[in-house]
Amino acid sequence: MESHSVPARVLVVGTGFIAAQHAAAIHAEPRLELAGVVDIDPGRAAAASRANGGVPWFTDLGAALAETGADGCVVCTPNDTHADIAVQVAAAGAHLLIEKPLATDVAGARRAVTAFARAGRVLMPAHSHRHYDYALAVREAIGSGDLGAVDLVRLSILGGWIWPDWRGWMLDPARSGGHALHNGVHLLDLVTWWTGDTPETVYARGRRRTAPELGIHDYLEMTVGFAGGAVAVCEMSRGHAPTSYARRDVLVTGTGGILTLPWDAEAGTVTDESGTALLPPGGTDGFATQIAAWADALTGAPPAVTGADGLLAVAMGVAAERSIADGRPVRVADVLEEAA
Amino acid sequence: MSGALRTLPWGSGGLGTQDHQRDMYLPAFRGHPGFTVVETAAGDLTTAIAETGAQVVSVCAPPEERAARIVEALRAGCHVLADKPLALDVADAERVAAVARETGLVCMPAHHHRFGAAVQAARGALAAGRIGLPWNVQADFLVDGGDPCPQGELVNFGLYPVDVVLALTGQAVERVHALPGRDPARSTLLLLDHEHGLTSTITVGRLHGTAAAPGMALHRYRVSGSGGVMDVDATRPGATVRTASGTRTAWHGPGTVGRMLTALHAAIVTGRPPEVGPGDALAALRVTDAATRSLTLGTPVSLDPSEV
Repeated sequence: MESHSVPARVLVVGTGFIAAQHAAAIHAEPRLELAGVVDIDPGRAAAASRANGGVPWFTDLGAALAETGADGCVVCTPNDTHADIAVQVAAAGAHLLIEKPLATDVAGARRAVTAFARAGRVLMPAHSHRHYDYALAVREAIGSGDLGAVDLVRLSILGGWIWPDWRGWMLDPARSGGHALHNGVHLLDLVTWWTGDTPETVYARGRRRTAPELGIHDYLEMTVGFAGGAVAVCEMSRGHAPTSYARRDVLVTGTGGILTLPWDAEAGTVTDESGTALLPPGGTDGFATQIAAWADALTGAPPAVTGADGLLAVAMGVAAERSIADGRPVRVADVLEEAA
Repeated sequence: MSGALRTLPWGSGGLGTQDHQRDMYLPAFRGHPGFTVVETAAGDLTTAIAETGAQVVSVCAPPEERAARIVEALRAGCHVLADKPLALDVADAERVAAVARETGLVCMPAHHHRFGAAVQAARGALAAGRIGLPWNVQADFLVDGGDPCPQGELVNFGLYPVDVVLALTGQAVERVHALPGRDPARSTLLLLDHEHGLTSTITVGRLHGTAAAPGMALHRYRVSGSGGVMDVDATRPGATVRTASGTRTAWHGPGTVGRMLTALHAAIVTGRPPEVGPGDALAALRVTDAATRSLTLGTPVSLDPSEV
């Protein structure tokens, strides 16, 4: 897209639950226009079309790209399809905003990055947390220099809600890449972005709290050692009790001070018969900010998240899964080199 | 045995510039109705005990001779409150434990943080099954400002939160992985594997000092269990008083050291086993020792099962 006056035409590919948030963000962004929806399941594709004003729907991405001449795609399909779809979108000369992880392995992520570099199109992984108010606040506090050089970061995103049932592809490590790839990359990317440092090692411990039969670890603790001397402890949980549990907690210490962002820092709380919970924070819509950043990138601004960022997050996620299996720290450089 | 116990302070040594005798234990003994402080100019401990008729010795001898003075006090028939670390190495700690067992006297390492009101309440709730079977603890022990310990804060502070995690859960540590902070002497991250699959992660460190220093920047434990989660802010209870000259915490009840002395007094006068003994000092020391080895190796270190 080279003009400000004509909205870029965008396909939403994959119409699972996160697609609705992307579609809503596209509708709210004047520089973008929804050109159609794509899903291999015709019923779901048709339903998504109806929910979005009857835009064209497709079951084949190639046909959708050819028929609509779309400028870009927002991809929210299962993780194991990401790399091939990214290469296909690049080959069609379209831009891409793709759900995390960029791929389920480093080789796939590298293929996607290479394809977009060759095509000269924008590749932006949807590491949505970077666009949330809390993450921006932490980034700004560190960037201000008030905390000095970062020493220790804690980022905990804890919940007791696991995906609905065994049919959810997120529970299948072959499809999701494992929890470190599926959700872990959010945290791994965020602490890397906050510190502005190079991750060197990942030491991770995983649990299967909800059921011993789980193929993924619903609780992850991923400890990242950075080249510059910072250390980050990232906890990602879908395995806490009670199932209503939902907490996010951030701690940053540095040579100049300390930042704490406890779970109740963002809103008031409500206490009723079911316990105490946070009221809706009512801050900025992170998906709207994300799609605006992508629209900026389509008009020449540097992408808020690059393909290289997505590739690094995948390598860290792979390192985390491997560390859980081996019980030892894993060097991120080793993971990157294997797939070079 | 009843009435106030005659208590002899012995030594003012510590790691770095610390003087816990002057700053912590003596004021607490003086303020506690269960103890009366006795003093002497005698130059050696055995003579001092004989001269004063001391029943309890508060040992803050310099760390390198501390174990020897604890043993001397026990051999002279006195109960002991021992500054932390009770000994610098495992062999000395084992020797103290053996003499304490042999004499049947109370030898309490000053792991006072486990006596904090919030920690004790959490320990009771955990033991009562309030959150089911615990499977993870996340802890932060971050001190704001003060003089850095020349031997490093892992050796200095490390055993406090390790001891609290052990007191809370009762699950021995089997494996230790440690990562250095930006300044390895100032901060360390401990990743522990315990019995029954429990894991714990503990940050230990000293901040350079903010406008609020000195004090605790953060001292907390989040315990996740099969039935729920417990958040324990070990700096509580406390009222926050914000004035033109700054912000401070105020509370009426006894602090961690006062509560520890009450436990010491109860163990001595009732003969019941003390809440914390040389075995607990040994357990914490083995963890911080293993952490030091892990920092050198860059890999997790297993504790010898016979040690657990």
